[in-house]
Amino acid sequence: MSERSTNTPRDPADVTALAIERRMTRRNFLVGAGAGLGAIALAGCAPTAASAPPATSAPSAAAPSGGASASASAAASANLGDALTLATWPNYHDPTVLQDFTTATGVAINMQVFGSTEEMEAKIRAGNSGIDVVVPSNYAIEGWVKDTLIEKLDYAKLPDFKKEDWNALFMDQAFDKGNAVSIPKNWGTTGIAYWSSKVNPGITSWKDFFAQAGTTYKGKALIVDHQISSFGSAAVAMGYSLNTIDPTEMAAVEKMLTGLKVNLFAISSDVQPPLRAKDTWLSIAWTGDGVQVVRDNPDDAKYVVASDGGELWIDSYTIAADAPHRDAAYAFLNWITQPAQAARETTFCLFPHANDKATALVDPAVKNNPVVYPPADSLTKLEYAVNATYNSPERAEAWARIKASA
Amino acid sequence: MATAGRARNGRSARRGTAVLLALPTALWYLLFLVAPLVVLVVMSVGERSPNGGYAPGFTFTQYAALPTRFTPLVNTLGLAALNTTICAIVAFPVAYTLALKVRGTWKLVLVALVVVPFWTSFLIRTYAWMTLLGGNGIPRILGWIGFGDIQLLNTPFAVSLGIVYNYLPLMVLPIYVSLERLDKSFMEASRDLGAGPIATLRQIVLPLAAPGILSGIVLVFIPVMGEYLIPILLGGGKTYFLGNALADLFLQSRNWPFGSALAAVFVAGMIVLVAGYLALSRRLVRAGREQSLI
Repeated sequence: MSERSTNTPRDPADVTALAIERRMTRRNFLVGAGAGLGAIALAGCAPTAASAPPATSAPSAAAPSGGASASASAAASANLGDALTLATWPNYHDPTVLQDFTTATGVAINMQVFGSTEEMEAKIRAGNSGIDVVVPSNYAIEGWVKDTLIEKLDYAKLPDFKKEDWNALFMDQAFDKGNAVSIPKNWGTTGIAYWSSKVNPGITSWKDFFAQAGTTYKGKALIVDHQISSFGSAAVAMGYSLNTIDPTEMAAVEKMLTGLKVNLFAISSDVQPPLRAKDTWLSIAWTGDGVQVVRDNPDDAKYVVASDGGELWIDSYTIAADAPHRDAAYAFLNWITQPAQAARETTFCLFPHANDKATALVDPAVKNNPVVYPPADSLTKLEYAVNATYNSPERAEAWARIKASA
Repeated sequence: MATAGRARNGRSARRGTAVLLALPTALWYLLFLVAPLVVLVVMSVGERSPNGGYAPGFTFTQYAALPTRFTPLVNTLGLAALNTTICAIVAFPVAYTLALKVRGTWKLVLVALVVVPFWTSFLIRTYAWMTLLGGNGIPRILGWIGFGDIQLLNTPFAVSLGIVYNYLPLMVLPIYVSLERLDKSFMEASRDLGAGPIATLRQIVLPLAAPGILSGIVLVFIPVMGEYLIPILLGGGKTYFLGNALADLFLQSRNWPFGSALAAVFVAGMIVLVAGYLALSRRLVRAGREQSLI
């Protein structure tokens, strides 16, 4: 997942709660940190994003379910310590699920939220971060393994993990063969969000998106401030791979985007506010943005996975190599990846899950929502961003030149 | 002998106390100013590790690559100079009115009102402008009275507005203080000697307010040079400042040495600027003192 915004009230239908949470997006975290005012400002505007789950949150009616609590209390018999630090995304975890883990094991979860994988990396790369469990996007993992920022998972310490329960589409991928270091949390797409009342006929491909963003919909289109998602989708529009690092192809993409920039509404990862205000009519968006805007405007808003390709991503649980609470980290992974917990998390955060048994338990309204779980045949052309793309200085420079251009 | 010894002891004891008292400040500067700068310079001569971050080294390749950030530098310098000038032009009449035209309780209330915006976070105030300038804000009202589809948000105008709005108090207050101290008999003398209001303003008020204006310029110009938030929120990421280039280098590119080199050069530039300011303000104060002696 990239710097998408995720602001999800527990009840998918609770629109009023959303009005408050809407302002809290992943990008804001970066912005706040940059201003050095983050803590104060965000405490003011986003109570839901506060670190630890509220102590008052009642355990959900379904929990603790039999199987889950059995393994959790088995783990509790071992000496797990009393704390665990989880580096993750805003509004990605159901606080009641985390609370249940604490109740069962006595391990309190200290949650740190980040606006992007890059920010997580800056923290763990600096060392001594105190972070135990990190949830990066797929493209970062290879580099993290090479620099031993995360450790090889010891599956003996994950006794309840059952590989056969998981969707093969998301397991054993090139970025982590045999899931040696990572287990998927949720996955998603980078697609196109638009207002069908304004954008007619609808947009179904990146080719159309980039052709019309600067012409028919001049000043009304937004691309996200993320090299992989925006540069990559533009590359797909021109018939190249999402992952292109070919100099000629990159030069062509750069030229196209530099020309387009002046006609865009914005280059910003804060996708939802301008979309909801109808300042933007069409926008690059990540699954979470799409789901939430469509949920609140079912007749008008659309979120589509482009027909010509684009990005598919997975955020995965990993354990930091210098994790101070290793045993607690394994106990947490063993527990949170179980279908019962994974389903509750998915119903809460509205990103699809890679565990089929978990998906079966997800709230039907969420599970049958094609924006959350797109049809399998729409995913066939999508690509995972690879580490070489994430790590390419040439691509980063091309993106910086596009952003700096007048 | 005895008295001299006691005096010497007293002096060294006093010096000991002075050193002790200065210690926290010295430590503070060492830990939070000198040490980070040393880290910055060391990193700037290193290399980007193959997977991002920093790898030790001794090379000036990062500095050689600095011209690639020429555009954001020019953007930032230009917009910082422009907006500091706008701030000064807007702030002077405000400060003049506050210092010389209003009296008593009103003065107290109005000066307090200049500071009131600081009670709310910078981030929230800037976010509020997004709503005001967005399609459902001022442009909609302009639409009602006959202006067509006007885009205000994510334009250089919005960035300037955000900067002037946020930094104006930092310009008003120092100018206010310098005008407040102004000896009004100078202005009376000027009038008695036949100078009109404009001549008085140019020859008496402005020169005496110069140190305040200069402080205001420095107080506004330096933070605006490092601005990061306003170009993102009100410029929609289309206006690219040095601050944004730095954030991207550390996060998206994960090229810490290059980011460090850019930051080091930026810090050095600001030091030169502040040194120039100190020299100039010293001269202004001296000139002012000589003037008042005459």
